[in-house]
Amino acid sequence: MKKVGVISCSGESEPEGTIARNAVRLVMEKYRPGATVSLCLPLYLAGDEGERDFARRFPVIAVDGCGKACAKWATEKYSGKVQDCVDIGELLKEWGVSERLSRSHPGRLENEVTERVAREIIKKMDEITG
Amino acid sequence: MAEKNKPVVLPCNGIDKEAGAISRELALLLLEKGADVICPVLYQSNPKRYQKKLESGKLLVIDGCKTGCASKLAREHGLKIAKKATVNELLKEENLKSGKSPVIGTEKLGLLPAWAERLEELEDIVAEEGGTHFKTPVSFRQFAFDKFIFKVPEAGYFFNENDCWARVEGDRARLGVSDYVQQSASDIIFFEPPEVGKELNMFDEAGSIESTKTALDIISPVSGTVTAVNQELVEAPELINSDPYVAGWAVEVALSDFESDRELLMDCAGYFDYLNEKVKKEYRKRYGGK
Repeated sequence: MKKVGVISCSGESEPEGTIARNAVRLVMEKYRPGATVSLCLPLYLAGDEGERDFARRFPVIAVDGCGKACAKWATEKYSGKVQDCVDIGELLKEWGVSERLSRSHPGRLENEVTERVAREIIKKMDEITG
Repeated sequence: MAEKNKPVVLPCNGIDKEAGAISRELALLLLEKGADVICPVLYQSNPKRYQKKLESGKLLVIDGCKTGCASKLAREHGLKIAKKATVNELLKEENLKSGKSPVIGTEKLGLLPAWAERLEELEDIVAEEGGTHFKTPVSFRQFAFDKFIFKVPEAGYFFNENDCWARVEGDRARLGVSDYVQQSASDIIFFEPPEVGKELNMFDEAGSIESTKTALDIISPVSGTVTAVNQELVEAPELINSDPYVAGWAVEVALSDFESDRELLMDCAGYFDYLNEKVKKEYRKRYGGK
């Protein structure tokens, strides 16, 4: 089984951070178990060699909440170029989602967006793994 | 009794269980024999009151049960525990259990004078300072699986299939759990040591650990007598996470039959291969595939 690392934005202050984390969990636990290795951004930044070494050896998709692209930035700084990235802020614009989303109490809309983001991640994973 | 070695007894004093009442009663019996006694309640509110006594004697802690409130109190105040006993362990040796009533049963009352004598003769917990054992630097081999890196020492350690190790030097061994255990268990928050003096057979429980995810027994890879427990680990169980093979040792044992024990153990190279395969198997079990 080909493996892909997915590193998620950890943004606590924005709903996109929550959506990023939940979407990655969906991919890891429901849609592509075994093939997905989630990388913990805080641990990664703290210098965990296991996380950084994995990102050097395997393709990584960065899932960022906004244009700051912290997940992508960290991966490229410490391990190497990411294979692909998802920018949730851009996706929301593209999908015409203009309502304010909740960062701590996901409702119908947040869950729907999370599912759509998960599908975007899967699409990119499948392109990588063939 | 020499003043410097005078026992200073800190009992649990718990008033809602029989074990607490027994610990208090034992402290009073030792008081009659010349020991000093610390009231844990008064100590909480006015620790200075006991400062002189603590400086002049050796601290004997008597916990009632596994909660270990007296030990915790001592640790919180930075007191050095020289000797320690747990009433529930003493009861267990007599095939008795602590009752729910805080009143001590007649049968148990009869046992207390003998127990008090035993406590007076307890050996100190801490191993001799400056010992020559276990000073050799340890080097490691490692392998990566996904994002996890597993370390195994290169030499001097023996492992059982429960992922517990024995670091053997001469007739002594230190016991602990492997890097794999600490990574699987995640943050270790509690270490319950065995009693010093406990006789261990191979595969007996040599203490237990608890993490934010799970609770595990340390399964002894060797037989022998517990001569010391790692007090630093009691106070900082996270040492197992940061340094599972050296600073995270749990128990020191005087070996009784290592030549026989080692027949059932893996050396470092053997465990390295075993663990590598085990990690892959677990992954296959969970996700399928090769």
